[in-house]
Amino acid sequence: MEQLLVPMICKIDKVIQETPDVRTYRLKFREEGRMENFKWMPGQFVEFSLLGSGECTFCIASSSTRKGYFDCSIKRAGIVTADIHNGLEEGDEVGIRGPYGNWFPLDDIKGKNLLFIGGGIGLAPLRSLIQYCIDNRSDYKDFTILYGARTSSDLCYKDEIKEWQDNKSLKVILTIDKPEDTWSSNVGVVPKILEEVVKPGIANTKVITCGPPIMIKYTILSLKKLGFADPDIITTLEMKMQCGLGKCGRCNIGSTYVCKDGPVFTNEDLQRLPDEF
Amino acid sequence: MSVEIFVTDKAGLQKFYEAVIAKNETYAPVEKFGKYDFKRVTSLSTCNPDSPIAKTMSAKPLFFPRSAKIMKYTATSAGTDVMETDEDPLAGKRVIIGMKHCDARSLQVLDKVYNWDFIDTDYQKRRQNTIIISTRCDKAEIHCFCTSLDYDVENLDALDILIVNGKDEKIYINARTEKGGSFLKEYIAGLTSANGAADGELKQQYNAFAASFRLKMNYKEVNEKLAKIFDTPEFENVSANCVSCNTCAFVCPTCHCFKISDEKVRDTGVRYKSYDSCNNGYFTLMAGGHNPRPAKYRRWRQRAMHKFVYYKERFGENLCVGCGKCTTSCPVNISIFEVVNQVAQ
Repeated sequence: MEQLLVPMICKIDKVIQETPDVRTYRLKFREEGRMENFKWMPGQFVEFSLLGSGECTFCIASSSTRKGYFDCSIKRAGIVTADIHNGLEEGDEVGIRGPYGNWFPLDDIKGKNLLFIGGGIGLAPLRSLIQYCIDNRSDYKDFTILYGARTSSDLCYKDEIKEWQDNKSLKVILTIDKPEDTWSSNVGVVPKILEEVVKPGIANTKVITCGPPIMIKYTILSLKKLGFADPDIITTLEMKMQCGLGKCGRCNIGSTYVCKDGPVFTNEDLQRLPDEF
Repeated sequence: MSVEIFVTDKAGLQKFYEAVIAKNETYAPVEKFGKYDFKRVTSLSTCNPDSPIAKTMSAKPLFFPRSAKIMKYTATSAGTDVMETDEDPLAGKRVIIGMKHCDARSLQVLDKVYNWDFIDTDYQKRRQNTIIISTRCDKAEIHCFCTSLDYDVENLDALDILIVNGKDEKIYINARTEKGGSFLKEYIAGLTSANGAADGELKQQYNAFAASFRLKMNYKEVNEKLAKIFDTPEFENVSANCVSCNTCAFVCPTCHCFKISDEKVRDTGVRYKSYDSCNNGYFTLMAGGHNPRPAKYRRWRQRAMHKFVYYKERFGENLCVGCGKCTTSCPVNISIFEVVNQVAQ
């Protein structure tokens, strides 16, 4: 067991300040050839350690179709993440274990219309799948991204969102919670914009959503109101984890191990879990 | 499996134990301040193979150490180095004496979680290299309820060698596994074969033991009822006195939750894997403040349900072996037996 918990060393290639409290760390394995052998699927996560501070669970925020690196977007939220923000810069080294967990159901979403709904840092796990789907664009039909944040400065991946907006085969809708002088796009919380602006059709459509728990809750209610069926609503859960191996017992919801059976679940799966997440 | 049963007396058993201790790396309950913990022993006089269950710490730490080093490391601005830790001190061939059947059964239960998907090879090796020898209890202790649960105590094969007290000071030695059988072969000089004559006495001894239980429950009914009542206020009542000291989890032979923590002084550090408990308020607390189990009753619900419902659902075994160690150790007298029975009513 102990050997399974020993991380591999990665070098920080680049640090991108996404918002005042979110930074994206672009990582490469220090050991030659390791990066090529590191295979992951969109939706999987890693255990990221700042040696001395501790280990944290982060989703991989980039797609394996973008070769040579992987991204972790980290919001300053607790003790370790504060240490990461304060201490880690380009060229520093961190420990990585993984990839762990299941991934988005790539077979199920093939040939479908895709609707991504993200809120705040919740766009990070979706970004991995969005990049993957953009890089295999012909496998999917309509491609819509609805993304919201509290304020315009809290929107992550601003440069990449511009690329998405310039891509004629994608429809991108942005929203912020309250009006701002320089903001000309939508204003309102994500579920409201979903119902009033996006108004998605349910035919042949898969919805992939992630965000703060309260946003996910009301987004799912809106989606149900719009007529979406539970198996067509896909989300990814956040739970406290430590080992990522289905042993330490921390991420259990009922008899489900979020680190092994998840973190990706359909709303149908979630109905079967006790209400404890 | 049917293996030869040997018969001896008290002096013969002592000789057998002494021979085992002389020839093997042996662990047995050693007394300190009226309580027992499994320690390495070199003579029979320093240990007590028949220590009471309630006063004996589980032998779990011999398989799942209280705190294990994952790695040592140095991290400076010049770079990071991860070093191997020392060799596993628990990986060698060894014998455990006096690990009662409930405690031994817990290993069969833990095998399920350690051997699914990612395999804990350290644990596996410790298991494979260990021979467990123990006497079957003659009388249930006050908080015991092993016979009420989902496993067959009488025919349990969790012990490699079972010792049973028969009539007229006779003592039977019985290999319960193949591993135990081939181990026993080295020690049969001086032992007499009981040749089938023992079966009746073994049965009689078991029946008398089974009749001595104060606590009895209908396991199937409790399991089924608990599975249906996640939202009951009863969990608040049963957990009201809990002081979240986590003693129950540390003495429990089946509790296996752990945490990973770092200790770093200047440039060098050690990462540990140590016991943790779902009764800890911070157990599921996430950075940012969200906690799916923010109240004590929710954590107790997790403890009771994980033991009596979730693990059974997932791995087919009950995650409580009925040893009563948690109840004996609890500073506020919470009994897992009473908790599950009260909630399931």
